[in-house]
Amino acid sequence: MAASDFSGVIDQSRQSRLASLKRRCKQMQPLSSALSLSTALALCISQSACQPGRRSDRITVASAGRITSLDPAQASTFGALQLLSALGDTLYKRTAEGELKPALASALPEISDDGRTVTIPLREDVLFHDGTRFDAEAMAFSLRRFLEIGTLSYVVGDRITAVEAPETYQLRLRLSRPSSSLENLLTATNLTPVSPRAYQDHQDRFLNDRFIGTGAYKLTSFRAVQQRLEPFKQYWGPSPSNAGLDLIYLSNSTALFGAMRSGEVDVLLSDSIDEDQRLALNRMAAKGRLREGQGPALVIGYITLLSNTPPLQNPVLRQALALSIDRDLINKRVSHGLRPPLFSLVPPGLPGGDLKPWPRHDAARARNLFIQAGYCNGKVFNLPFTYRSNVPADRLMALTWQAQIQRDLADCLSLKLDGVESTTVYRQLGEGAFQAVMLDWRGAYPDPEAYLAPLLSCKESQRSICKRGEAAISGSFWTAPGLETTLLQSDRSRGDARQRDLESVEQMAAEGAAYIPVWLVTPRAWSSTALATPEFDGNGQVVLARLQEQR
Amino acid sequence: MGRSRELLRYTGTRLALAPVMLWLIATLVFLLLRVAPGDPVDAVLGSRAPEAAKAALRARLGLDQSLGQQYLDFLGGLLHGDLGQALINQEPVSQIIREALPASLELSVTALLLAAVTGLAVGFTAIARAEGKIDLAGRFYGIGTYALPPFWVAMLAQLLFAVTLGWLPVGGRFPPGMIAPDGSGFLIADSVISANWAALQGALRHLVLPACTLGLLLSGVFTNALRLNLNRSLRSDYVEAARSRGLSETQVILRHALPNALLPVLTIAGITVASLIGGALLIEVTFSWPGIALRLQESINQRDYPVVQGIVVVIAALVVLVSVAVDLLVAFLDPRVRY
Repeated sequence: MAASDFSGVIDQSRQSRLASLKRRCKQMQPLSSALSLSTALALCISQSACQPGRRSDRITVASAGRITSLDPAQASTFGALQLLSALGDTLYKRTAEGELKPALASALPEISDDGRTVTIPLREDVLFHDGTRFDAEAMAFSLRRFLEIGTLSYVVGDRITAVEAPETYQLRLRLSRPSSSLENLLTATNLTPVSPRAYQDHQDRFLNDRFIGTGAYKLTSFRAVQQRLEPFKQYWGPSPSNAGLDLIYLSNSTALFGAMRSGEVDVLLSDSIDEDQRLALNRMAAKGRLREGQGPALVIGYITLLSNTPPLQNPVLRQALALSIDRDLINKRVSHGLRPPLFSLVPPGLPGGDLKPWPRHDAARARNLFIQAGYCNGKVFNLPFTYRSNVPADRLMALTWQAQIQRDLADCLSLKLDGVESTTVYRQLGEGAFQAVMLDWRGAYPDPEAYLAPLLSCKESQRSICKRGEAAISGSFWTAPGLETTLLQSDRSRGDARQRDLESVEQMAAEGAAYIPVWLVTPRAWSSTALATPEFDGNGQVVLARLQEQR
Repeated sequence: MGRSRELLRYTGTRLALAPVMLWLIATLVFLLLRVAPGDPVDAVLGSRAPEAAKAALRARLGLDQSLGQQYLDFLGGLLHGDLGQALINQEPVSQIIREALPASLELSVTALLLAAVTGLAVGFTAIARAEGKIDLAGRFYGIGTYALPPFWVAMLAQLLFAVTLGWLPVGGRFPPGMIAPDGSGFLIADSVISANWAALQGALRHLVLPACTLGLLLSGVFTNALRLNLNRSLRSDYVEAARSRGLSETQVILRHALPNALLPVLTIAGITVASLIGGALLIEVTFSWPGIALRLQESINQRDYPVVQGIVVVIAALVVLVSVAVDLLVAFLDPRVRY
């Protein structure tokens, strides 16, 4: 037999065996079918055990952001501060209506004639979660600890020079200068007192995974992604309206939205929810499928313009930019009306926040100013505009403004968009790296001082250029003659005088146009219809103790 | 040289090179983090903190030292098994890894098992109908699942099974309101050991969606690998020789064709599990799965140098160990392999 014939036989043999093999394989198909079925079965089994429905009186609250520290001296994230507000109390609280009310203090502070000594009477019926008594020494311990190691201690700055406890239930603060924002500062969650006994080994270092305070809840379990809170039976104030809370962390907006929509969580806090999902939740609430609570808007979105070097060193150009932005359109396109336009650096509801010193959109006036600055009619001002690439709303804002400029002022101005991750933006802001950049800011406490000083304060200047100070750190490097003095004065004066000072500061800032306020961010929280509508306090935090079933 | 001595020498060489590889990776990560823009002090204090406060924190964290000194401190710590402390909250990095790694391993191993079972089943079914419609579907499945963007599939799965149907949780690893069993950090194992069946059910329910999604996306690799290799095996001379010895077709497949076809699949599985430990990032982020990849992403955003360095070194060590183990296993199973 020739070799070719032999190979032909082999091939035939192979083919027939292959066919036989395939039959065998087909016989094994039930195995793969069984596997597919088992997967489906697993899903079905899971269905029988799942979702949603309230199975206990406990309430599950979801938010974004892992909580890495529960120490008031360290905490800075929205989630951590929200949690601390349930576990602890501050000396004073601001109501949603903006009224200052004593909490651990028993009355409003007494201020000496020279404004440099503040005496605060304290409640006598308060216990820490470890059973020790809250008194002036405990409060002094906590304040000193914050001033010593607090990562945000610069918020207090050099205002408090000494903390004293002259009597068991009386606290005395010595100030370096009179400060009308001090009362509101004392509502800051970072100044929540902690038990001296529990923190005696942590006087000079942080205690991240425990918290012993005086709040309506005590912490019974802490993990970075989940915390369990139980009502504190010896709480001095009204007991919580629920049987306890489980706070969970989900890492992204889609997961948070999905968890709320599916009923997996009872309450969703709005921090880090993307615009479309915020709108969807808002619409679900309008249709009665959820409940939506709103707090005081304390986050501002604004543009910083680099004002110490050309071309934006020219105030006319900055004013033209301020006139060029159509906030109403941006509000409509970016947030579907959920981010109201802002014409002031201070949120409405705070002293000075009702002023609107920044001009509304006026393309004709903007064009005149661009012409005055040497642009238009063949010469286009190309402005690099940076936005934080990890903040979807900022990107939408940049795109909308770019399109709006293209529509209104294409022959004068062109925006070149540049997305940069926020960590990098903040690192390079004070180095003057960005001609124009979209940012946001939330004051550490609800007071105009917490908004104006961080943007406008300047320690060393040369004419309208700030060499050192908050204005430089903020990336504008802008100041104006007399601005720092008026700013300081606005924190000394009270009542109508303070209102006038704040008005002057804002007027100067608007004329300088180194910042362009864009929008306000209103905190929202959604609850299932089985619960009452979430309520907020004056610091923009949900009052977790008032979450309750709707009966 | 005998095969066993050859194998021993190969193993020794690979293990001896492992520290060098780890050192190179650790050095690279250390340098890359330092040249990346962004400052951990800003992440802790915020950009508006006064320079004095920033300088004090920088000194406390040792970031004011020269780069060389920081590098030596890092290497010194590494040699002593000390991965340092997180800049953000001073938590020991080893503890962060100890908490996050079991979550990633639990997800990765489950996903890998699902991928292997599903992928091999599809591959096997496809080869049974070679060149037919089912084979075409198998090929399409193999390429399609591999090509699908993980975050997109994950979001669709979330939308369908969690939001719309409400069958499974949207994310997380354990039901809120339930106390997770203490122990190794492997929730399924801990639940079984402590006979906490409610916890087991909760942990399994949270695992289903991310594991199935990840498993589905990986299964195509197994499908293609098995299909190609089994096809090749079935046409090889040793299969013919087996048949000519009078073995039944089942014996031919199970004893000869399949083991040889599975050897490359084993290598793929090894590489996959190694890469999964750090590579399931998109799945962990989408499903809020508190694993090591999610922690790595958060730490990169916060410029938390010690955590990033520690996680990368641990992942690299695992990759090296798994790849050596797979090589040895393949060498043990396949007498033809020479080193």
